[in-house]
Amino acid sequence: MILAALLMVVQVAAQDPRLERLDPGTRSAVSAVVDSARGDGLPVEPLIQRALEGATKGAPGARIVAAVRRLTVDLGAARLALGTNASAAELEAGVAALRAGATPEILAHLRDLRRPPLTMALSVLADLVASGVPADSAAAAVLALAPHARDADLVEFRRAVERDIALGAPPGAATSIRVNAGAENVFSGTGTNPGTVPRPRRP
Amino acid sequence: MFERADDVVERVIQHLRRPVAIDPGLDARVLREIAQAPPTNRRGWPLWSALAAAAVLGAILIARPWSRDETNRSDLLQFVFVAPQAASVSLVGDFNDWDPARSPMQTAQGVWATAVRLAPGRYRYAFLVNGVDWRADPGAPTARDDEFGTASSVVTVGGRGS
Repeated sequence: MILAALLMVVQVAAQDPRLERLDPGTRSAVSAVVDSARGDGLPVEPLIQRALEGATKGAPGARIVAAVRRLTVDLGAARLALGTNASAAELEAGVAALRAGATPEILAHLRDLRRPPLTMALSVLADLVASGVPADSAAAAVLALAPHARDADLVEFRRAVERDIALGAPPGAATSIRVNAGAENVFSGTGTNPGTVPRPRRP
Repeated sequence: MFERADDVVERVIQHLRRPVAIDPGLDARVLREIAQAPPTNRRGWPLWSALAAAAVLGAILIARPWSRDETNRSDLLQFVFVAPQAASVSLVGDFNDWDPARSPMQTAQGVWATAVRLAPGRYRYAFLVNGVDWRADPGAPTARDDEFGTASSVVTVGGRGS
């Protein structure tokens, strides 16, 4: 009895104090998921932030717990695709890419093509899909640019595609044009030396 | 009145070539001073030099300036939201525990702004207007996985060449 009480006290003390914003039932369920994720070696900060987002937005406890559980599963899938050396930021971006429609094989291919960190490449892939670009087109574009483009290049590429879409271009076509017309229209400093880092043209 | 330049140069050379009288006891005095000089601890220098070099090497190893660890750096990002009619706007997101009190935005004629320092990573965020109205950032990608019924935006801070 005393031992059980002590264990409960230790467990409560081990809970992240930020989770106090959740109601007791939700807090307990979320803490269990967080502890399990920690035991599996997954980053727990994204889980806590997702729970806090739900609390601040006034979401029902069940929905918060479901969101945290789903994120745990997806973090595990991202780690499976990106490898155990992937950072927390890369895993979180990997989750976004997977949820956008990228397959684990695409994530693994990206890992092979580009030296870490992969955070920006994965995020750009997810953001392109959010802008309306079909997932396969977004993945093909990011994989094409990944070997040489800097993070800043990828951001500029995403912005260029978004601008084209805002001007009325079909998302898939805008992406393809920006990738295929690289030497002439999107990038400068390429074409003569294959090793040259492509740089997007400034607007 | 004027000498030729060659003559002047020749006279200067001859002047400089004249032997200079030096005190005959100078050599003896110099050698005596050298002999009386306190010995320096020459054996101590290599030790201190090695320690200093080890300290510098240790500092470099700890700082690891070549490291690509994403947590080593952060960028100051400014968030801007236009809401002329709003009484208050807060920036909330993964970087401030979704706490509206942490990042209240300041206004100038309806343009609300605040700056946050972020380490490389992908962050979800939103603007909370008047404490009740959730708004996504119209100038940023939208978070697709909106599980709580209100829109959020996404910002990614890069780690390489960004």
